[in-house]
Amino acid sequence: MHPVSAQPTLGMLIRKLESIATLSNAERQAIQSLPVRIQNLRARQDIVRDGDQPTHCCLILDGWACRYKMLSEGKRQILSFHVSGDVLNLQSLHVPTMDHSIATLTKAVIAFIPHETLRELTASHPGLAAAFWRDTLIDAAVFREWLVSMGRRTSFEHVAHLFCELYLKLQSVGLAGDHRCPLPITQTDIADALGLTPVHINRVLQEMRGRTLITLRGRMLVMEAWDELLRVSEFDPTYLQLEKRAAG
Amino acid sequence: MTLRLQPVQVGTGSYDVEGHLVFADGFLAAVLVQLSGFHEDLAGMWFLEAGFGLVSSATPPTFADLDTAQDWIEQRLAHAA
Repeated sequence: MHPVSAQPTLGMLIRKLESIATLSNAERQAIQSLPVRIQNLRARQDIVRDGDQPTHCCLILDGWACRYKMLSEGKRQILSFHVSGDVLNLQSLHVPTMDHSIATLTKAVIAFIPHETLRELTASHPGLAAAFWRDTLIDAAVFREWLVSMGRRTSFEHVAHLFCELYLKLQSVGLAGDHRCPLPITQTDIADALGLTPVHINRVLQEMRGRTLITLRGRMLVMEAWDELLRVSEFDPTYLQLEKRAAG
Repeated sequence: MTLRLQPVQVGTGSYDVEGHLVFADGFLAAVLVQLSGFHEDLAGMWFLEAGFGLVSSATPPTFADLDTAQDWIEQRLAHAA
């Protein structure tokens, strides 16, 4: 771990915030000059654990991560998926004790931003405070949508909904386009996120392939019938509040 | 408690169709389905397609063989005793 400042990589955070809010030049520069510590992590490594009291917020510069809770007998519930530009535990800035864990799903590069620095940043730039607040509110909207899927969507609709959400999130930060996006997670990860089993996920993927809705090439998901996936999952992108909406 | 298996074809909407109804003392307790070749590393294993009462599970397990599946079902039902 080594302290680095003015990392060009913080551009990922700017890109993320600009996908949901408008930033001024001064705000962009303030983010660029944040002192951060950068760490390369292995896949499936805990970053912050349930019960911890973190002193830093974790920004993903590269790779995928998730929030999760563990129950007895190794039962894991993944609460959310995160990609480059996402700050994983913005909540810890104001809610000191973690009520869930955060782990990498793939190899990842994480920037640790000290709470103190973020407090100063948000105090001197209220526009950024509002953008971070907006980010946590959208986070909550995503949780609401996942709750609807968990309770009321079939496994087929649920997987379709997740794919639409992941694609739009990745597209909004420039990591996906042309209805194709990276999907570097396993069927078990998807099952643990959707409250299903790998057996169910495999069946759904087979059916989606059979109906030519998607193809999976290596770790690339291609949405062959985007409109149909939106329709079957009753996907309404409003909850993602993307500034540069491009749902088509 | 006595378990009795009855072969059945199950409409799972997938290639996994060969299964067994599992009766415990005459009551339907579970439906097991053998996973098809489309499941790669899980192919040939037995999946708890449905479990009733004490055998129901939010995370239905997969078993290496029918004996293991029956042991698990018996353990679940033993909690009622």
